[in-house]
Amino acid sequence: MRLLLTPALIVVAVFAAALAALLRYSVLEFVPGSLQTGGLTAANFAGILSRQYLGAVWDTVLLSLATTVLTLVASYPVAYALARTRSARTRSTLLVLTLAPFFTGAIVRTYAWVLVLGNTVWTWPVPMLFTPRGVLVGLVHFSMPTMILLLAAAISHVDPVYERAAASLGAGPWRVFRRVTLPLSMPGIVSGSVIVFAWTLSAFATPELLGGGRVKMIANVVRDLALDSFNWPGGAAFAAVALIVTLVLLAAVGRLTAGPERNVP
Amino acid sequence: MLARHVVASLIALVLPVSTAWAQSSLVVSVWGGNWKDTVERVIGKAFTAKTGIPVEFEVGGTIDRLAKARVAKGNPLVDITFTTSHVGRLYISDGLYAPLDMSRIPNAKEIAREALRSEYHLGSWSYVYTIVYRPDLVKEDIVRWSDLWKPSLKGKIAMPDFDPSHIITIAALMEGGNEATWQKGQERLKALKPSIVAFYSTDAQSQDLMKTGQAPVQVMLSVNAYHLQEQGIAVRLVQPRDFPGVVGIDTMGIMAGTKKAEAAHEFINLALSREIQSELVRALKAGPVNGGATVPAELRGQPGIFTTPAEWKQRAYIVDDEVRAKSLPAWREWFTANIVK
Amino acid sequence: MILRLAVAALVAFMTLPTLVVIAVSFNPTAILSFPPAGLSLRWYVNVLTYPQFQRAAWNSVLVTAGAVALAMPIGMAAALALARGRLRAPQLWATLLLSPLVVPGVAAGLGFLILGAGLGLLRSRAVLIAAHVALVLPFVVRSAWVSARNLDPALERAAASLGATPWRVFRRVTLPLLRPGLLAALLFAVIVSLNEFVVSLFISTRLTEILPVAMFTYVVNYTDPTIAALSSLFILATIVVVWLADRFLDLGGVFIHHRQ
Repeated sequence: MRLLLTPALIVVAVFAAALAALLRYSVLEFVPGSLQTGGLTAANFAGILSRQYLGAVWDTVLLSLATTVLTLVASYPVAYALARTRSARTRSTLLVLTLAPFFTGAIVRTYAWVLVLGNTVWTWPVPMLFTPRGVLVGLVHFSMPTMILLLAAAISHVDPVYERAAASLGAGPWRVFRRVTLPLSMPGIVSGSVIVFAWTLSAFATPELLGGGRVKMIANVVRDLALDSFNWPGGAAFAAVALIVTLVLLAAVGRLTAGPERNVP
Repeated sequence: MLARHVVASLIALVLPVSTAWAQSSLVVSVWGGNWKDTVERVIGKAFTAKTGIPVEFEVGGTIDRLAKARVAKGNPLVDITFTTSHVGRLYISDGLYAPLDMSRIPNAKEIAREALRSEYHLGSWSYVYTIVYRPDLVKEDIVRWSDLWKPSLKGKIAMPDFDPSHIITIAALMEGGNEATWQKGQERLKALKPSIVAFYSTDAQSQDLMKTGQAPVQVMLSVNAYHLQEQGIAVRLVQPRDFPGVVGIDTMGIMAGTKKAEAAHEFINLALSREIQSELVRALKAGPVNGGATVPAELRGQPGIFTTPAEWKQRAYIVDDEVRAKSLPAWREWFTANIVK
Repeated sequence: MILRLAVAALVAFMTLPTLVVIAVSFNPTAILSFPPAGLSLRWYVNVLTYPQFQRAAWNSVLVTAGAVALAMPIGMAAALALARGRLRAPQLWATLLLSPLVVPGVAAGLGFLILGAGLGLLRSRAVLIAAHVALVLPFVVRSAWVSARNLDPALERAAASLGATPWRVFRRVTLPLLRPGLLAALLFAVIVSLNEFVVSLFISTRLTEILPVAMFTYVVNYTDPTIAALSSLFILATIVVVWLADRFLDLGGVFIHHRQ
């Protein structure tokens, strides 16, 4: 039986080899203008501590937080409708509308926003394209399907019996939501938020196309370093930072969410 | 039976990619959009008609294609590269270009001296980076570089973020220096910052910003501006009265290690011929490097178009290639840290 | 009532850009205008005849087919091992197998670029396929594992006790019972690989690039509605596939818990 696992482990090993190559380059010296590298050095990581790069990290974290919150707020009503609707047709329609964009790929979806934010449909009162708020809109839009599906799954596991019980005891709809539905769907909220946040931290296509060079998230900086300046060591160091930040955040959230669950009797 | 087919297909998938059709064509690396379309239509078609060799294209930005060329060094995926003159120097210093056999490019005898950039790369056409704006969205006239600093243009300007050479040079000139003493213009550049609303990384982005009106004033390549006019967007190109537009000369070079050196030389020779040059002028509204090319009357004297050696000398400010190539990384870093952010 | 309005507004937000893209794709001129100034199919013609798109589409088919052909059996085997293998810490193994999901695309992309360049493999599709297998495998494992967990070993034991060989048991009992999970796995694998962009951007060359990378290159170099046309084709195909999957495979049931 153990043998069945081996091919998969080989695949993971190949992936690990790629990451190892990345980490190795992050500590090698960058020789400007060539593929050659010098000796071991911490200069790449030191370079990240510059205002320019730390700024990109900070911007990324802020954008990711904003995206997660807005996505959550925007997705919950749709997820609730998807989970609770009794009409099969409504559910099917909502599902298709939610899932379909999810499957058309980053370029197609971001390109659509290049059009809308670029004053194609109407002229925006404030510039939207190539600004952080434009990127935020694109990121929220991109994350909504994921959040909706995760929330809908969680909400669908909440037995409506509880909501009906609360209502029959005299609670208004808002109170039912706040005191019954929301807390019971918390696992979905947490997992959805974590996934959206982690994904947004490494977002690339959306800020690349909607940011116009002015909005650089971590992934864009890595691409610039690696494919523009041809600074593979520098790009590798920054990518390694992104990887570590993501892992730390996921671990931290994993700890936080494991706690309460263990205490439930 | 099935297993054998599966194995065979798997092997085919991982073998180096080289379809027969790809091997026999000449591959040209060039900017996308209007540039690739024109090179394909004007030079590529004529070349294929003459030699029977099909032409393929790799498109991308200037630095993108340089990075790709470096990765493929010694075993190039393209045969000819169109790039800006000073970036051509980077190709040379990386050993990516093969020296040109001038005996196979007789048409080179007819081109302007300024177009003989080195023994590795020759100019193909010229243009200027100048101020381009939409008079329907910007009510005042812009006539000189210093107008860009006017408070009325706050938040209306866009410029390239991939190559700040032009504005850095202009700022230096305004402070009595030049590209070699570019630090003189730093304070002036910082003063321009509030006026800049966007930076564009590609020609396409620049055109988008102009089309949507988000950045109605731009430091733009003259050819792109003419292209916008052709698409129905009314833009005005400025011949600045204080300092000239900064000239760009796009160049052609042959990749070291190419297996189609003869065809490549043939291509370059064709591109420098009078007929093709005349056609390029008409198509791109760029300046010819071959003095014998016909320039339509309405284009004579226009920004970026020089027809006599005297015009090249007087109306063109050509930034020194070596200084530009050497300084570009430092310029980009300073510009990104102080102006873009 | 408020809920219904909110949902309608949000759904409109989600679908507006799609409608704009489709509308713009019919514009007769090279300008992106909405509403379109007319109805023209020239950009659709451009999409279907543009040599680089044709090449990229073929690359997409090859890379996705190769990646899925490898990932499905590997993932299925791993799922069975996780569900049945009496491993001491299946959660840990599962986490290991799902780990590529948390790695930022640029990190994996640059890593594969460095690795591929070092091994001299960048001119072939080998690195692309390897990367796609690694990226797609977690989806396959996750979907197949859900099915494998719900598989009652009693059914297989019954078949075996009736004289079926292990291979026959697998083919006639196990596989059909795993089918829902495997179909979901196949769907995910194909979709993820076809749309994979970031990692592929780093390791593609002009000859090997897949369709999303070719689209990206086009978007940053051209400002005409060609990508709007290509996007519309994508969107149409996806809507059809998703609707069919929901209708016949109850795709919705994979996500939403049904109630009586």
